[in-house]
Amino acid sequence: MVALRKRGAAPTDVRRVRRDHLLFLAFIAPNFLLLGVFSYWPLLYQAYLSLTRWDMISPTKTFVGLNNYRFMFSEPGFHRVLLNTGYFTGAVLVGSLLLGLALAMLLDQRLHGRNIVRGIVFAPFVLSGAAVALVWAYIFDPVYGLMRVVLGWFGVGSPDWLVSTTWAMPAVIIVYLWKNAGYSAIIYLAGLQNIPTELYDAAKVDGATGWQRFRHITLPQLSPTTFFIAVTTIIFSIQAFDIIAVMTEGGPVNATTTLIWYLYQQGFRAFRAGLAAAAGMVLFILMLVITLIQVFIVQRRVHYS
Amino acid sequence: MGQITRRKFISLSGSALGILALAACGSGSGGTSGTSGTSGGNAGGTGGAATARATQSAGPAAQAGQKQVTFWSSWGGKNGEALTKLVTDFNAAQKEVFIDNQYQGTYDETAQKLAAAIAARQVPDMVSLSEVTWNKFSINKTLQPLDDLLKKSSVDPTDYVESLIAEGTRQGKIWWVPFARSTPLFYYNRTLFKEAGLPDRAPKTWDELRTWGLELQKLNKPDLKAYAFTNAKNFNAWHFQGNVWQWGGNYSDKNLEIKIDQPPAVAAGEWLRKFVHEDKLGYMAPDQSLDFSNGLCAMTQQSTGSLGSILATAKFDIGTGMLPEQQKFGCPTGGAGLALLAAAPDDRKQAAIEFIKFLNKPENVAFWSKQTGYMPATKSAREAPEMQQQFTANPNYKVAVDQLPKTQPQDTARLFVPNGDQTIGTGLERILVNNESTETVFKAVAEQLKRDAQDVKDQVKDLGLS
Repeated sequence: MVALRKRGAAPTDVRRVRRDHLLFLAFIAPNFLLLGVFSYWPLLYQAYLSLTRWDMISPTKTFVGLNNYRFMFSEPGFHRVLLNTGYFTGAVLVGSLLLGLALAMLLDQRLHGRNIVRGIVFAPFVLSGAAVALVWAYIFDPVYGLMRVVLGWFGVGSPDWLVSTTWAMPAVIIVYLWKNAGYSAIIYLAGLQNIPTELYDAAKVDGATGWQRFRHITLPQLSPTTFFIAVTTIIFSIQAFDIIAVMTEGGPVNATTTLIWYLYQQGFRAFRAGLAAAAGMVLFILMLVITLIQVFIVQRRVHYS
Repeated sequence: MGQITRRKFISLSGSALGILALAACGSGSGGTSGTSGTSGGNAGGTGGAATARATQSAGPAAQAGQKQVTFWSSWGGKNGEALTKLVTDFNAAQKEVFIDNQYQGTYDETAQKLAAAIAARQVPDMVSLSEVTWNKFSINKTLQPLDDLLKKSSVDPTDYVESLIAEGTRQGKIWWVPFARSTPLFYYNRTLFKEAGLPDRAPKTWDELRTWGLELQKLNKPDLKAYAFTNAKNFNAWHFQGNVWQWGGNYSDKNLEIKIDQPPAVAAGEWLRKFVHEDKLGYMAPDQSLDFSNGLCAMTQQSTGSLGSILATAKFDIGTGMLPEQQKFGCPTGGAGLALLAAAPDDRKQAAIEFIKFLNKPENVAFWSKQTGYMPATKSAREAPEMQQQFTANPNYKVAVDQLPKTQPQDTARLFVPNGDQTIGTGLERILVNNESTETVFKAVAEQLKRDAQDVKDQVKDLGLS
């Protein structure tokens, strides 16, 4: 981001202030217009839709007040949907951070063919989610799947991943992590390379062990990176749709129905636009709250050098 | 870099804005790119960008002076190739009408896109809708009654198999003509049956199926189960509709009164639960076709529409039969028919009927049926030499056709209740996977169906289903 230089406006220089304002407008206008058309307007419209009953085909939308919200929260399976969303997002968050950091530390070593390995690690991130999910559905096949072979090496039998209500969610999480770990790894790698080597040299002179250097230099120095990855991972994963849609369609027995799949099911399967919009609002409020918490609490403890 | 003056900057950002706005509009219409084809038509009078986008469909474009009909269809793979052949043949055979066949994904996806297209007032002319999805558009009065159009093109609706055309007839008018209609069919692995010393036929009742399952268990094959059910994603509520009828029950009645929590339906579910969890003879397969073709289950139930691909992939001898009975026989119809949109221009509606007339020619019905396994929907096609030949060459096709007169349209709970199919299907998963008591599960399912039925109850009453 380019920070605008703050200029002390002399009282005589009104033209200059006006010019600054114009420049400011010119800078934000394109973004603001796009956000307005593609983010804020749909959000307002969604808020309105969530107060109506509409089947997406009939020309009339009936105003029903808060009935959609009442209906949704009284639905027996809805707390399960929220729990699933938390389960998925939480596991993906922790997994992405740990896996990303571990991969980044490996990729940071001076090894032969390191650039190729970096490319390979990042590659799944740019693949299409639907294609990835389709391939993994075969890998998870309890009879023919690769996973059965791999688990067999450790003498473990393969669960019936996508049919079991216990294992379907871990399966989806594994796929999502496999696809997205490269992203956090690359960001972490950039973070690692920004840490000044003098810090490590100084620590070594003072006799710090490898673990101490990691604990007291690497981790604190990476905290802005961690913060960034945490925010983006939560925002991406709470909206993760493609892998669930292709692998499980929210099943079995709603074991992988997250808020976004619930929204899709209500909106585009049952054609209940109002209910889907209400679910969308819940999703929006959830993300807003998470982001605010992150900004106000976590950011204070983040260490920017 | 030269210095950027204020004027230069503002004019630059202005033009950047313009480009962004254009790009935005572009992506907006991209979402309905399929639809813009309809506004293109033979006149080609719409905006350049829109028409350019519309010609994404493969094959030659419409000639000047032709009536272009936009047809949204739902068949990919082997079945899609068969449809493409029919469309290409039709376009080559005459000069007045050009059918622009646009594949839209699954039945559900086609319905989703159609709903969006109706909201955007950019509808296709003709669309394939499933036995479930067409109801949504029927109760919203967006479909075109076809009687007069059929008469004008001298298409005889009485040539359709009665039970099938009756399903698309409401309030005395035809709205939806059968095209890719299917029913569940019973499949068994003849090689395994022989090995287990079982007779070479499908079991007559579920109880017989169970005894045979025990025989198959004695083969001691670790990865083999006797019978595969499927999951909600793969329409287990459609297959289980047959079971409920066979046990003398119903999902619901014509007025959308829910009956799935009553004793007969519960008994059908309990039978399944015991068969899976106590006898360990059955299981839930995400794709029973795949498991069956790979010899993981000895028996299963799957659409006749999968017959072609199962026969093509399996490396053993396949037998088919009618569904097992219990107290009586019961088998639902399924699959898709064709409908026209009321909002489409009149001349294109008539042109679309010409294509339907072409599809109804006995040789074309026979070709479509042979390629896909869907039912021959007309009586004339069944008598056609191509079909007769097919029956002798592969008796499995004959079974499906023989079963057809005994089938009936499904209960309203699955056809009309929003998400009814998935509500019932998820309930079945609870029985098949979690081993929950059927009574508890179906009570919960009934409650949800009753609540969700409120959305459409008045509309369904308006239809006056008989």
